[in-house]
Amino acid sequence: MNWFVWRQHRKQFLIFGVLLAAFAALIIPTGVHYWDTYQQALATCAQSPAIPSCSNLQDNLFTSHTDGLIRITVFLGTFGLPILVGLFIGSPLIAREYEEGTDKLAWTQSVSRRKWLTVKLTWALGFALLYGIAVTSLATWWSHTLDALTQFRFIQGHFETQGLMPVAYTVFFTAIGFTAGTWFRKTLVGLAITFGIFVVCMASFAQWIRPHYMSPVTITSPLTPKASDTKIPEGAWILSRNIVDKEGKTFSSFSPGTMPAQCQKFIQETQVMRSGPDSISVGPSTKTTGDSVEDCLNQAGYRDLAKYQPAYRYWDFQRIEAGIYLGLTALAVGATYWFVLKRDA
Amino acid sequence: MGKTAIQTKDLGKRYGSFWALQNCNISVPEGSVSALVGPNGAGKSTLLKLLTGLSTPSSGESLVLGKAPRQHEDFLSDVGYLAQEIPLYKNLDTAEHVKMGRHLNKRFDEAFMRKRLDGLAIPLDRAVGKLSGGQRAQVALALALAKKPKLLLLDEPVAALDPLARHDFLSSLAQAVAEGGLTVVMSSHLLADLERVSDHAIVLAAGQTQLCDDIEVVLNEHKLLVGPREHGNDLGEGVTVIHATHTVKQSTLLVRMNKGAKPSPHWQKHEPNIEEIILAYMGQANEGGKK
Repeated sequence: MNWFVWRQHRKQFLIFGVLLAAFAALIIPTGVHYWDTYQQALATCAQSPAIPSCSNLQDNLFTSHTDGLIRITVFLGTFGLPILVGLFIGSPLIAREYEEGTDKLAWTQSVSRRKWLTVKLTWALGFALLYGIAVTSLATWWSHTLDALTQFRFIQGHFETQGLMPVAYTVFFTAIGFTAGTWFRKTLVGLAITFGIFVVCMASFAQWIRPHYMSPVTITSPLTPKASDTKIPEGAWILSRNIVDKEGKTFSSFSPGTMPAQCQKFIQETQVMRSGPDSISVGPSTKTTGDSVEDCLNQAGYRDLAKYQPAYRYWDFQRIEAGIYLGLTALAVGATYWFVLKRDA
Repeated sequence: MGKTAIQTKDLGKRYGSFWALQNCNISVPEGSVSALVGPNGAGKSTLLKLLTGLSTPSSGESLVLGKAPRQHEDFLSDVGYLAQEIPLYKNLDTAEHVKMGRHLNKRFDEAFMRKRLDGLAIPLDRAVGKLSGGQRAQVALALALAKKPKLLLLDEPVAALDPLARHDFLSSLAQAVAEGGLTVVMSSHLLADLERVSDHAIVLAAGQTQLCDDIEVVLNEHKLLVGPREHGNDLGEGVTVIHATHTVKQSTLLVRMNKGAKPSPHWQKHEPNIEEIILAYMGQANEGGKK
């Protein structure tokens, strides 16, 4: 039975092997190069801290056009390979047997349907597991330079492409692939559903589900001219950041109508605005002396309210989300057993 | 009579609100070669799938080789099945199908399958998808036979074959049967083909069994009666009309006669062949359906 499953799917396994090799061929040299460049920059800056770029390394390293392309390719590879395994190993696994009528051949040999299915699913899930581990090992290792530089690994887009997540995705989308393919007995329908679920998961988890694994830390601080002057610890995943008044009412920006009376005089000379959850600014103040718009607003009781998940929760979040996907995988596998064993050929 | 290989009781299969097979009662003796005949849509494929355990009945039950069909090694290793579309793995070559047979069956006679394929000059190293329809059917039959089943169920195996391939296939089958120990049920709507190899007939029409007996018995029990139309009601004791055709003056009746029954002397008695008998049953079911 093992020989047979290998023989049936070896072409797909080999193609994915080639894709992984190509991915590694991009990752390994660029990863080594990035780490070396970063270490050199650190050494240089340790010797002569006066060099302007040293104060802000993340804005000066790996910013060329080629670096951008490399980052995008690694990102796409880490995101893409798991879903590709789901689409092209998972979806046809059982569906193709139905399509070609070979279910009737396979299920009338002397191997029980349960055993046949167990061997097939073990191969597919085992392959997905190993493949996910290979992808995430490469991607996580590659990212350690950028993680050290930017501390962005907790935010959306980075969280999904490191640690446990690529493994969880590869296994989960493979399971979704064979479950949908089996349910509808059509590879193409399996493909479409798997891709649809992939899009839904990627869009919904970071937005609506992941923020709630643990209750966020809330921090209230005075408004400052620069959004980066904040007490939020480095590496945190910032969920929201708003200007709030004494009653707790939030402002995304101030207009002449919402600006408190005593601060109205600043409305002409400054912009008060907030852009995105990561940054908040009420300045820049054009005045060099005396009170500024920030001081005025702080005195009026306005505050910068931030909610975030601190960096030390990163692995807890990885474990929780991987656990959720693993649970969903178990449900999908159960459904596939039900479809194959309880339905007629 | 020996033991029965297949026994069904009120077997039925419903898809949604449509009964593909209903009240099917058949009994197939061990060692027989049964022709399962009936028009398209009569439920032949449904019946065979129920007997292999590929599908589960909606009503009634069946005993196949003394067991209820199920997805279990013990049951499956005794039953060979060839589905209508002759499914094989198109990308695998013939030799790999032999290997598959060995890997997926405990009691697989690899030498037997190789010898068979060799005798038929079927290339071992060619992808099965590139073989002719006749060769594919032979590979599938060889695979099913090499499993050494006690019962072989074939669903319209020759329907898609040209006359020569059909002849070769049936010769192969006849040869395997001659080697003994095998019960075969083979469905077809090509009556002439089955007549050559079968000794037992099951007629399925509109999802119900009409006739289930040895061909010898069937031939003995059925007569074709030709006589004047006005005697249409005077047949004699123990004579049942299966199908009647009438011209203005004359009636032709296909009748079933109980043992010892004698038709009234108005009638001229002829011996129908098996095809005529089966057609009569199928015609009766069709008329029944139209009423």
